[in-house]
Amino acid sequence: MPNLARRASTIVAVVIAIAAASVRGQGIAPAPAETRPAREAPGEFQFVRLAYSSNNVYGSSGWGRRQAWQTDWPDAEHHFVKGISRLTRVAAAEQGRILTPLDEEIYDYPWIYAVEVGKWYLNDSEAARMREYLLRGGFLMVDDFHGSWEWAAFIASMERVFPDRPIIEIPESDEAFHVIYDLDQRIQIPSRMFIYSGVTYEQDGYTPHWRGIYDDDGRLMVAINFNMDIGDAWEHADWPDYPENMTALAYRFGINYVIYAMTH
Amino acid sequence: MFETLFKYSRADYARSELIFAGEWPLLLIAGLALLAVVSIVVMLVWRRGNASVFQLATIATLQIAMVAVVLALLMQPTLTTERLRDGDNAIALVVDNSASMAYGAPASRFSEALSALSGIVPDGGADSGDFSIRHYAFSDTARPLDSFSGVTAEGNATAIADALRVILSEAQFSSLAAVVLSSDGADTSGGLTAEQLAELAAFGIPVHTISVGQSSIPEDIELEELAIPEKALPGSTIVARVTVRHDAPGTAQVKVYDDDELLQIVPLALAADVTTTTSFIEVDLQKAGPHQLRFTVEGEDAEPESRNNSRARLVNVASEKYRILYFEGEPRWEYKFLRRAVNNDEDLSIATLLRVSPNKFYRQGIDSPEQLEDGFPTDRNTLFAYNALIIGSVEAASLSAAQQSLIRDFVSERGGSLLMLAGPNGLGNGGWGQSAIADVLPARLPPSSADSFHRRKADVSLTPQGAGSQLLRFAAESADNRAAWLELPQIADYQLVGNLKPATITLLNVDTGEGLLPLLMTQPFGRGHAWILASGGTWRWQMSMPLEDQKHETFWRQLLRELVASAPQTISLTASATGGNAAMQLRAEFRDEAFQPMNDVGVTLIASHDNGESVTLSMQPDEREAGVFGARLLPAESGTWYFEAVAERDGEPVAVARSSMLHESGQSEHFGFRSNPDLLRRISEATGGGYFTPENLAALPDMLRYSSSGITETEYRRIWDAPAFFLLLLLLKSGEWLLRRRWSSV
Repeated sequence: MPNLARRASTIVAVVIAIAAASVRGQGIAPAPAETRPAREAPGEFQFVRLAYSSNNVYGSSGWGRRQAWQTDWPDAEHHFVKGISRLTRVAAAEQGRILTPLDEEIYDYPWIYAVEVGKWYLNDSEAARMREYLLRGGFLMVDDFHGSWEWAAFIASMERVFPDRPIIEIPESDEAFHVIYDLDQRIQIPSRMFIYSGVTYEQDGYTPHWRGIYDDDGRLMVAINFNMDIGDAWEHADWPDYPENMTALAYRFGINYVIYAMTH
Repeated sequence: MFETLFKYSRADYARSELIFAGEWPLLLIAGLALLAVVSIVVMLVWRRGNASVFQLATIATLQIAMVAVVLALLMQPTLTTERLRDGDNAIALVVDNSASMAYGAPASRFSEALSALSGIVPDGGADSGDFSIRHYAFSDTARPLDSFSGVTAEGNATAIADALRVILSEAQFSSLAAVVLSSDGADTSGGLTAEQLAELAAFGIPVHTISVGQSSIPEDIELEELAIPEKALPGSTIVARVTVRHDAPGTAQVKVYDDDELLQIVPLALAADVTTTTSFIEVDLQKAGPHQLRFTVEGEDAEPESRNNSRARLVNVASEKYRILYFEGEPRWEYKFLRRAVNNDEDLSIATLLRVSPNKFYRQGIDSPEQLEDGFPTDRNTLFAYNALIIGSVEAASLSAAQQSLIRDFVSERGGSLLMLAGPNGLGNGGWGQSAIADVLPARLPPSSADSFHRRKADVSLTPQGAGSQLLRFAAESADNRAAWLELPQIADYQLVGNLKPATITLLNVDTGEGLLPLLMTQPFGRGHAWILASGGTWRWQMSMPLEDQKHETFWRQLLRELVASAPQTISLTASATGGNAAMQLRAEFRDEAFQPMNDVGVTLIASHDNGESVTLSMQPDEREAGVFGARLLPAESGTWYFEAVAERDGEPVAVARSSMLHESGQSEHFGFRSNPDLLRRISEATGGGYFTPENLAALPDMLRYSSSGITETEYRRIWDAPAFFLLLLLLKSGEWLLRRRWSSV
């Protein structure tokens, strides 16, 4: 019960933050003068979840209802961050953060995670902010969207971010698949529903795709994990029924993305 | 007057010794003196009358004084003086015939000098009778002449010390009694050192100097000095130090040319209370290859000499690949953004060794699969192949004691640059303050038990040294640069570094909220330099500023270029101008892969000119520095000279060093052409000679005649018959007579 109360209060805070961000207007406000933070940052790496607006394809998510970007939150990052700390030398903060595209603080976190991006909507200002964020050196990992409809919805906003950059299949040789783990297996990582349905895909997303958008120097900026659910594998790492090998693989993909983002 | 009274001049007395030449025994003189005193006293007492004691004493004193003078004259006082023996000695008359002696109006300095020398020997060349005369003219060296007729002022350089050394060396074979040198003192050989003066003084022959010319020429401005790096990396900005000589206030401008292309015009204010004004001018050099940079200063008015307004230097912009090894103990944003900042810099190659997990190192920027395969280098050759080393957030204990010593040698012996970055496991936290490289670092790091790393945003500011440093330049103008630094976002973290060492220079500070602390600092150590950047959070400059902003990239590119540029190569050849551009000094250094000096090689220098002329010289080992060889070249041709220093062992070439230099023959005499009487005065004082001007030469002939050098004889000159003595006797006797009459009682 206390756990539920904590979650509810956090959700309310996040929703208020999003509302406040939207009230700021469509343009990017000038950065206020920096002030000295009251306390030290909790770590070099902090898991940041992107809070976005819904595209209404699946109906609006209003007050009191769980938003699409909240999927798997907060267990996914709690579990995954512990894995980062245990398996790498990254000084990772235990607590994650939630930021909208227009939050000025987003530039303090060069790695960001967006889930269920088949349901996201980025307006022009948000798209411009994400474009600037990525070109300055930020890294975006998107996950947990399936089938042709969600791909189309994802593309609709992503093309506002990068109208002229192609989305391509990440080559096997890309360092993103080798920077710490050699990820030669291309196995579809399923959601928890696999335990009940026995199928690893959702909608018409039968084949998993690891796609990406690169910058002018050939560095991966956006890792697009399509037709798979890495976040669910992180979230349910402690669930006995969820396949352990899927969780392990999801950890490895996630860690590789983090290390890649911190080295390229 | 003095000479009338005492027979000889004051100078004669000054240089002479007084002796008594009389043959009377001293005992007899003493006896006579005693007898005279007793007699005087007895006679005065016996016939004292009404005289007081004072009157008796006065008369006695006058009489005794007169007796003393007479006895002194009986002893025949004589002056003895050493003087040149007639016909056995030589005097060298030396005239400066360098081109600067042609200046002057209505009469040139050269004609003034000849006139002054002729005044000493009126017939203009024949022997004086007392001594023989030798004639010399000199510019870069001295040449013996039969006479001064036909000599003109057109020498390309002035090397007074070299010329005097040649002339004085002849004293070994003949009796050279003195040298008389007439010059403007405008030496172009780089001045006169204390060692050179001592060497000239050691000959024991006085050098009398006659100074001609003006030391102040208000109507002329001169580009006195141009200091500029010989080498630069493509795309870098170099700073030229331009010193302008002026004897009057005003304004001027400096034009900078790259070959024939005008790069920039820099205004210059010439202050009233100084005679030189120095300006620092930045020049961007983008393309690789040799750049002939010419700096020309132009004043407001026409000048008597414009050839001293321009200087040129050759700057070799070499597109070499400089290698940096970056050892990092944990994945972090600084690592990523540092690599990205210099990703497109073709002159920098960063090989990184990153510990991504407890059991895995990740390598980037390697040239081959084998590079850094076994982790951090364990031998000199491998580590010393890098120009600079960056150590990030990693514990000292992750390296063995031998590897830590290797890092120390990397800085002190190889001359490499070490940059330590802050981090939770870096600097003090990593135990580097107690490691083998603690001495190398510019700060005494706190112990690892004191957590000195703080993930707290903080402002960065330039120190005064940093404001003047080229590597922290975002804008050419100082004010713009300061403004650019003020606009920078806060860094993400900082680390306390403890007390700084005495030789440390701090370039950046961080505002921790409790005061300013050093952020970027450096100190020299051995042949190299050690740096600390007490932050791992400059990446915020990249993420928090617009994409177009290049300050983060510029900061890291300039800092890393500074690190590699100051690290010497295994082989090098540098050419520099000496003797006011008249000569070139070549310095070659040969070391093996482990940066040990190559002492077992012979080095040949091949100098080639654009026109095909070629000169081959043997380079001599430097006695003070192992592995270093030197040569001096006096090129006749102006233009670009290309040099190859070939090191050979057992007849086989083992290494070749190359360089080039721009030479401007015949220009040096037009620089620094103001007369330099101080230099001539120093020479005279050091050698025991006299300093003269053409208007004040009267004492010189006697100084020559009575020179203590050469073959001398003793001259005896009696002075007992000097009028002064007889006048004194008369005064004493007259005084006594007058007093006796006045008192009428003695």
